[in-house]
Amino acid sequence: MTVTLVVDGDAREVQGDTRDGSILVTPDALAAATGWALKPEGLCRGDVCVPRHGLGDVLVDDMVDVVAFGAALGRPVAFEPAAGIAVLAESPDDIATTIAEGGAPAFTLPDLDGNPVSLADFAGKKKLLLAWSSW
Amino acid sequence: MLIAISLDEDLDAARFCAREETTVPLTYPVLIDRDHAWAEAYGVNNVPATIWVDEHDRVVRPPAMAPADDKFIEFTKISADIHHEALRAWVADDVAPMTDDEIRARRPAPDPQLQLARAERRLAMHLLRGGFEDLGNAHLEAALALAPDDWTIHRGSMPVRGKDPFGQDFFEFYERWEAAGRPGYDS
Repeated sequence: MTVTLVVDGDAREVQGDTRDGSILVTPDALAAATGWALKPEGLCRGDVCVPRHGLGDVLVDDMVDVVAFGAALGRPVAFEPAAGIAVLAESPDDIATTIAEGGAPAFTLPDLDGNPVSLADFAGKKKLLLAWSSW
Repeated sequence: MLIAISLDEDLDAARFCAREETTVPLTYPVLIDRDHAWAEAYGVNNVPATIWVDEHDRVVRPPAMAPADDKFIEFTKISADIHHEALRAWVADDVAPMTDDEIRARRPAPDPQLQLARAERRLAMHLLRGGFEDLGNAHLEAALALAPDDWTIHRGSMPVRGKDPFGQDFFEFYERWEAAGRPGYDS
């Protein structure tokens, strides 16, 4: 079956399962959505690995438990097994690192007509980002 | 370069505001952050807020309430003039609005509970869009309970909860938030 995995506002329909009230996804789906890949040494992204002995309940048979994965990486997860959907948030530590470095996080968002616009489109300019809403 | 980013769930409401309810022509991009992924990455917890980003993509002024005029000064207690003068000085004369220490002090990292509240809100909106009304409302209530003083989560969800973000529901939230010491608001 498929489940919905939401990462950074990106919703993906991926191969997975709901079992015992948890949301499971295949390692390939996790890697595509988060960059964390299952390797012989553990779950890795770039040079950083969480070794297999530190994964605890993350691996269930040949699948990844999204909630346990979030817990292992300090990333809060909201999930609803009845609808087969999990939302993986950024870890507060990762956000703190970005703040300490002082950079403006890259983003790509749709405009009013649905065309994608990125921060990088305005490289070399001063930018005033204005958050607004109708409410 | 002005880039306006809407936090609306209702895309038609955002389009109507940007295109119809304005007196100036749209000469700048208007983007939509329906999932609040951008807002969360930048630490935006209310509107209207501005963030200043320099030529090298560094944040030189973190999110702060930035009223365009003094219409709501009774609530915001922020004069628009101070903000406008600082903005002119930065654009025209490269006057940095803050030191690096001031920027870091005003850009706090979220705690895990707030991040979970944001995840619950995002989950709730996906469920509501998908027609899972009861499940969506349950997760929205979870988000509100985790972050009762967060404007973006609380006031921002009033339209989908059938509440009035400009009426009695807003005033009740405002009074509770003010009694709590105006948390998360250091403009």
